Amino acid sequence: MKPEEVLRQALEIDAPWQIVRMRNDLGKGQIDLWVARESGRSGWFFGARAEVGHGHEQVWRHINIGNARCLVHAVPPDDNDQAGLQWLGEAEQPFSRALARQIAGMFMEGITFQAICSLLDIPVADLWKFKHSLDNGKAGLSGQRTTASEPAGSGVPEASDPVWERLLDGTINIEIRVLSLKLLLTKLREQFSIITDGEVRLLKTHEMQRYFVRHEKLLGHELAQLARL
Amino acid sequence: MKPPQALMPIARAAELIASGHYLSIAGDEAALRQLPLGNWIGGTIPYFMGADGGTSSCEQVFVSEIGGFSTPPQLRFYDAATLPQICRNAPDNGYSILILPAFSAIHASFARQAPNYEEMYLKPLIGWVAGVHLDALGQLAPKVVLGSTGEFSAQHAVVMDVALPADKFAQIDIVNLFRPGTGSSITFFDTGFSAGACQINGKPGNLADYLVEHGIDRRLPLVADYSGAMINVSIKHIDPATQRVEFYAPVFPGLEYRIAAPLGDYLAEFKAALPQLEREISFSCNCILNYLYSELEGKRTGQVIGPMTFGEIGYQLLNQTLVYLSVTE
Repeated sequence: MKPEEVLRQALEIDAPWQIVRMRNDLGKGQIDLWVARESGRSGWFFGARAEVGHGHEQVWRHINIGNARCLVHAVPPDDNDQAGLQWLGEAEQPFSRALARQIAGMFMEGITFQAICSLLDIPVADLWKFKHSLDNGKAGLSGQRTTASEPAGSGVPEASDPVWERLLDGTINIEIRVLSLKLLLTKLREQFSIITDGEVRLLKTHEMQRYFVRHEKLLGHELAQLARL
Repeated sequence: MKPPQALMPIARAAELIASGHYLSIAGDEAALRQLPLGNWIGGTIPYFMGADGGTSSCEQVFVSEIGGFSTPPQLRFYDAATLPQICRNAPDNGYSILILPAFSAIHASFARQAPNYEEMYLKPLIGWVAGVHLDALGQLAPKVVLGSTGEFSAQHAVVMDVALPADKFAQIDIVNLFRPGTGSSITFFDTGFSAGACQINGKPGNLADYLVEHGIDRRLPLVADYSGAMINVSIKHIDPATQRVEFYAPVFPGLEYRIAAPLGDYLAEFKAALPQLEREISFSCNCILNYLYSELEGKRTGQVIGPMTFGEIGYQLLNQTLVYLSVTE
């Protein structure tokens, strides 16, 4: 396999899409890639000639290449052609879908904002923008499941237990004695009511379960009610 | 046992500071400026609920002594850019006391954004909003103090992070006498410290018009039910001309508010609602509006004492609410 094909595979840039240009001098520790659709003829850069897209070019942070930031430049295709493109990002969003999934997995593991920014070399402002969009139902995680889950405490249902979704969608109600849980549940229910993306809803159920794991010794009254359901 | 909270002369507070205690102090700015450097944070306010009842004083300060920590508490200023990290920076087991200067950008920013701060609701966050004597409104700026350096600020928040041993944990709770009344449900389109257009019983309406037409007593807050916690938004000003209503805390979209039902005897209801705690209250504060509207000067509210503030913090900004923190083994 040619090195450029390995790179395409690593960055999930699959045919008919190709890398048509690459620069490493636009920012320190940064690699910029331009992605376009193959036209089928022999091309200038990595093989096939690229079609020039119509519309405005957009830029997203993609998954890192080693220690280097990777920025993908592309003209987004029509909506019908976007499915499954993990190097593509949503409009007005800072991250590609692949990087968004990676970050969502870190959220589910309970990794802090600061640690995520440090591990992935992401500006805090971009991460806030992304989180805000998720919380307000303005961004999704597009299908592929993130697999992380919080290990449950002894009396706390697993993160995958449907009780969390039922608690957040209001199907079940429990009497709550702890102020922080009342406030958090209200916030998560409001977010849940406007989030339609399945992966983001899963993120919220994990957030709820993580709270219970962390505060298990305070929540005997509430956990007993969940156990009876 | 010695109470961890008390209203005391400035000289007594200075002695406690000099002996190395960790303290949270509320007082008039002139009083706070007389205190020595040390392990304390503070905020300006001259109104208190002491053991002898409600009082306004420039000669005394209200001191909450911080004890039982596992490692020495950390004291620091935050600015508006760094405050969203307050919960992340807090100890994994413990609590944080936050004091904000009223009418500042950081106060407004916290009020609007706190529910979305990283790790919010995961770590106990309690505090209050500093103010000034009501006669000095518009003349003096409320301030917070970092006692370790002696710096006063009208733009920063001051925070004390208190780490607890593994066998103890902190709990924050509130006492709010207000309950949603039987009037119309009110919902808002945006987060904000003021509103005009809104939904009233699901139909387009205007809050200022509604309050005027129904002769609503503006001392009654808007109340929203947060999964069983009644959270107030107090009304600051109704302007019929511009059809706008200003609040002391922001309203949020997605929540259903109602004007509170009127209270009977505040003192009697307050005493009945006070928690019967076996454990000591480590920190508490109540609202200046309760002090004013319920005419608490000279009246005692029982075992729960503290500064009467321009806003209370129980994770997020609260109004017309008693907030308290206790530590349990």
